[in-house]
Amino acid sequence: MRFRLMALLGVLMLCVSPFSLSREQAYGQSAQVDNARTALLQAFALVQEADLQGASLSQISQLADSLNLALHYEENATGLGSAIDANRSLQLSNATAVQALSVSNAARTQSVFDQASAYSLAVVAGFGSALSVLEVHRFNNIVRKIRMRRIRLE
Amino acid sequence: MIQRRIIVFILLFASFSLVYSSIAYYALSKPPAQEFMAWGVFSPSGTLSNYFSGSEANVTSGKSFDWHFAITNRMGSIQYVQIVYRLGNSTSSSPNATASADSVPQLGNSSTFIPNARTALVNFTWSFTKKPVPGGSVYIDMTINGQQVSPSVSAVAGQKFRFFFELWTYDVALNSFQYGYRGQNSRVGVPLQVWFNVV
Repeated sequence: MRFRLMALLGVLMLCVSPFSLSREQAYGQSAQVDNARTALLQAFALVQEADLQGASLSQISQLADSLNLALHYEENATGLGSAIDANRSLQLSNATAVQALSVSNAARTQSVFDQASAYSLAVVAGFGSALSVLEVHRFNNIVRKIRMRRIRLE
Repeated sequence: MIQRRIIVFILLFASFSLVYSSIAYYALSKPPAQEFMAWGVFSPSGTLSNYFSGSEANVTSGKSFDWHFAITNRMGSIQYVQIVYRLGNSTSSSPNATASADSVPQLGNSSTFIPNARTALVNFTWSFTKKPVPGGSVYIDMTINGQQVSPSVSAVAGQKFRFFFELWTYDVALNSFQYGYRGQNSRVGVPLQVWFNVV
């Protein structure tokens, strides 16, 4: 009697286990797709930030291509339930995010450098112009002297 | 005398620096531009007309149509764009410049990332099979980009079905897709629609 009960319980557990396994698997895949989706959105936010910081069109186009490929994998993962595609999308999104961060920093540095150069040049030019106006009579004297020397030589 | 010269020099230096800095600021500033997104649905011949290879909008069951959307981004930065497809009939409320047609069932969507000053092409391949029901109404089963859908919309005698196409853009601050694109003061919706009759 006890053996029969144990056997029945065993058979019951064997029947139930595939369902619980597939549910766990489905839950795992769904979590992977969610992670891929989150990573893709974060990567997009960073690429947009890099764009607003002044990254070049070619750099942004390259990052956009990567984002589109990651989106394609993510859509495949959602539609076909492919864990491999979810993983591919996640990895590509993370790589794009890192690249976007680096491009953004470079663009920001370049922008600061450009501004510093332009305003420094403005100050130097201001200094030179002020000096020129103030000392214009000296230049006139020099020109006059040169002319006089030429006339004497003739 | 020297003191006076120094004061004059400082005044001149400040004035010139101010003028040159203004020029530098102007040169470094982005030129003002109105941000917008433009798009259209194109027939296989690449035109904004002649969608059904005939003069009328009568379409036969089982025939496949290869349309595509061309979306141009002039928003000043990369955009994450989603096109939402809906099927309506003559009595459905249409999407407009401020609101989407939320009451009309959605058939599906396509998304893409578009860099600024670029145009993206998105395929829209569709076909349908007719499902007449007693009373004269016609329902259709559709296949859009390989996905099968059964819209809950019908049309009397199969006349005046219409596609609504809506452009949505992803707003990073709101963490979701929003209808239309961000305008100067509010969001701007730019829906498209194509009428067709099922025969």
